[in-house]
Amino acid sequence: MAQDMTLLWGSGSPPCWRVMIALEEKKLQGYNQKLLSFEKMEHKSQEVLDINPRGQLPSFKHGDTIVNESYAACFYLESQFKSQGNQLIPDSPAEQALMYQRMFEGLTFYEKLNAVIYYDWFVPEGERHDSALKRNKEALATELKLWDGYLQKLGSGTYLAGPSFSLADVTVFPTVATVFRFGLSAERYPKLGEYYALLKERPSIKASWPPHWLENTKGQDTLKDI
Amino acid sequence: VSMAKSMSLLWGAGSPPCWRVMITLEEKKLQGYKHKLLGQVGLPAFKHGDYILNESTGACLYLENQFKSQGNKLIPDSPAEQALMYQRMMEGLTLTDKLNSVIYYEWFVPEDERHDSAVKRNREALAAELKLWEGYLQTVAAGSYLAGAFSLADAIVFPNIAYAFRFGLSVGHYPKLAKYYSLLRNRPSIKATWPPHWLASPQGFDILKDL
Repeated sequence: MAQDMTLLWGSGSPPCWRVMIALEEKKLQGYNQKLLSFEKMEHKSQEVLDINPRGQLPSFKHGDTIVNESYAACFYLESQFKSQGNQLIPDSPAEQALMYQRMFEGLTFYEKLNAVIYYDWFVPEGERHDSALKRNKEALATELKLWDGYLQKLGSGTYLAGPSFSLADVTVFPTVATVFRFGLSAERYPKLGEYYALLKERPSIKASWPPHWLENTKGQDTLKDI
Repeated sequence: VSMAKSMSLLWGAGSPPCWRVMITLEEKKLQGYKHKLLGQVGLPAFKHGDYILNESTGACLYLENQFKSQGNKLIPDSPAEQALMYQRMMEGLTLTDKLNSVIYYEWFVPEDERHDSAVKRNREALAAELKLWEGYLQTVAAGSYLAGAFSLADAIVFPNIAYAFRFGLSVGHYPKLAKYYSLLRNRPSIKATWPPHWLASPQGFDILKDL
């Protein structure tokens, strides 16, 4: 099964990481994979464009089936391999509803993070404004407080949708890991800090940890004052 | 049908995210939910009993999963169609962002941060995005939509396409999108949830006419 799968990915890219966590959780290790560099613009190479006309990573194939959007790949893998590995969509309606809600809020969280840490990547020089970056940082701080609050309500040692690890964690943890990589203070966001500490030890997450984060354990401090 | 009595929706007329949830409720034969119209834009606030689902795609997925055996099947069984359905559904969110960055540029960007270069770039990005969707719908026909039979991908994406035509998108420039639009606008779940003020005033805006 895994040998019919191919993943083109970039190190530290949360969307790529989501798919890798899902593959590990569904016991699909052994898939074909190729690490590409965003800096060298390899995501716009013909090899990627052949699978993904958008020239984006992740690009994922299972046999002839292409599923590039990270959430789509996660849903597909859970559905196709339901009886294998860990169950990633809870049975209880309450947990399921919360899982879907947090997954899609996770997209907003990811956008708000990118609007700060990749401001210069996304906004051409002549269009940048201190006022915009300031506003983006404030929006991110508000967003982070929201997630800290969500975890506070659920209590220690739980996951984003309750007692079970789910697709909400698969899709949102990479964003949480990135905020700490970029210097977020765990003192200011204690529940996020606890969640991060709990999940970074999970086998699927350890196995898919961004290689360049291992090579260079010191990240950036862009978010230290948020 | 009595399940719907424990559901409520706060919605904005013409807002694609709200419309998605309403289409899905109709498709799953969950008419009869409480609803309150708040205005002409905005995001849905959906509750099923104590469960809150304000994210429209999340709400639609939840409804299909909870009411699988009721109404129309919205997630295909075959692996290939299922994969395509999830893919197009999530790409629909990219389409939404690119539409919003053109139609709502002045809503999102304070006056002293606006640039003609940004407006131009956003328009070019939207045109490229719409061309992709035009390509996805090359073989569109009755019963053959974004992933085969009508699915969650269509529930998510149709409102955006309808919105684009409302804002002046040219039928001549995007004939396949126009065919998709005209095939689905008469689907019962879509007719039943058509934005009321669009019926009252069929003429919309023209911000997208030259795209």
